[in-house]
Amino acid sequence: METGTENVSLESLMQAAQAGDGSAYEHLLRSVVPVLRRQARAKWIGSIEPEDLVQDVLLSLHSVRHTYDPSRPFLPWLSAIFRRRLVDLQRRHIRKAKNEVTTDTLPETFSGDETNWLEDGQGDPDLLKSAIASLPAGQRRAIELLKIQELSLKEAAERTGMSISALKVAVHRGMKSLKQALGA
Amino acid sequence: MRTEDLVGSLAGEVRPVRRLSSPPVRLLAWLALSLPWIALVVWYRGPRTDIALKIGEGIWLFEQSLALMTALAAGLAALCASIPGRPVWERVLPLLPLGLWLAIIVVGSIRSVVAGGAWSSLVQVDWVCLPNIASLGVVPAIAMIAFIRRGAPVSPYTTIGYAALAATALGEFGLRFFHAQDASLMVLVWQIGSVALLTVICIFFARYLFPWRIDVRTVSG
Repeated sequence: METGTENVSLESLMQAAQAGDGSAYEHLLRSVVPVLRRQARAKWIGSIEPEDLVQDVLLSLHSVRHTYDPSRPFLPWLSAIFRRRLVDLQRRHIRKAKNEVTTDTLPETFSGDETNWLEDGQGDPDLLKSAIASLPAGQRRAIELLKIQELSLKEAAERTGMSISALKVAVHRGMKSLKQALGA
Repeated sequence: MRTEDLVGSLAGEVRPVRRLSSPPVRLLAWLALSLPWIALVVWYRGPRTDIALKIGEGIWLFEQSLALMTALAAGLAALCASIPGRPVWERVLPLLPLGLWLAIIVVGSIRSVVAGGAWSSLVQVDWVCLPNIASLGVVPAIAMIAFIRRGAPVSPYTTIGYAALAATALGEFGLRFFHAQDASLMVLVWQIGSVALLTVICIFFARYLFPWRIDVRTVSG
């Protein structure tokens, strides 16, 4: 894994990030995202979006940033996290593919029209989007995975590295904030 | 969610963190928690009657030293393996004392078999080793898992495997202070067998014992 000429500064950026320096942390993350993206595209992850892997790695990096030792190079530390998350994602994809059945037509749930209504319902999609965007990162991720992508709690927990109870808390708080924001 | 937005959110929420201490320091802390427990169990069970004789016996001392060295090396390896980007040799290190320990016991077992005697007289049922090692190793195991869970599960199976080996090898070290069973074949089958069985069971649950955990403060926003 290479980032070109910025190797020297990544260690000090991470050290500053560990001390709570947000701008150094943002600089660091923005520096490594293109590298992670390139690496993710080069690896086999089935039908999963490479960007999902990049985001998984960023969330994992964030959650274990206290394990980084500034006297050691940064990139091997990041590579180890990347490799683990890649393996996790590949395993998840294989496990999911084994249990998936493809179908051309989606079965009707009930014969009534109201249960098979495909048009947008009431509400303002743009307002909803901006309300979701304004949520804190953890809550937003939980809403996206559980409510929009409709993953199970277990799948979402595997993807984010969050525990199931933390996801429940995050989605509950997220939904509460959304209701307030939408005036529902 | 766009990655650029995620980067912004993470950077916006970043707080100072306390870096992990070095693995040797954490190993000492683990020993400080584990050894009193081993001593307590040995005291409670009562040391074997021939303990003074055994301490003067070279082979017993050598086997005990190797058991202790295996526990220490495995503990260090588990702590190192829970930190991303550490060198691979740290994970190979425990194989040295472990291999030597096994070799000594296996050689002793082969000698006793070659010397003759019916298998039934060489290997007797000694089930107590398993619960004894489990009870001796429970505190070291809980302490070690608590320590490694502060790290990152970049090699969960290796980490948990070495953590379990550290705890059970320390348990085996303590066991021989009160359990008067020194025949190599018996040690191999019942004591080393218990260490191996408990280690494998722990590896089986590695993903549950050592999962990825996101910072709660990031979740709650």
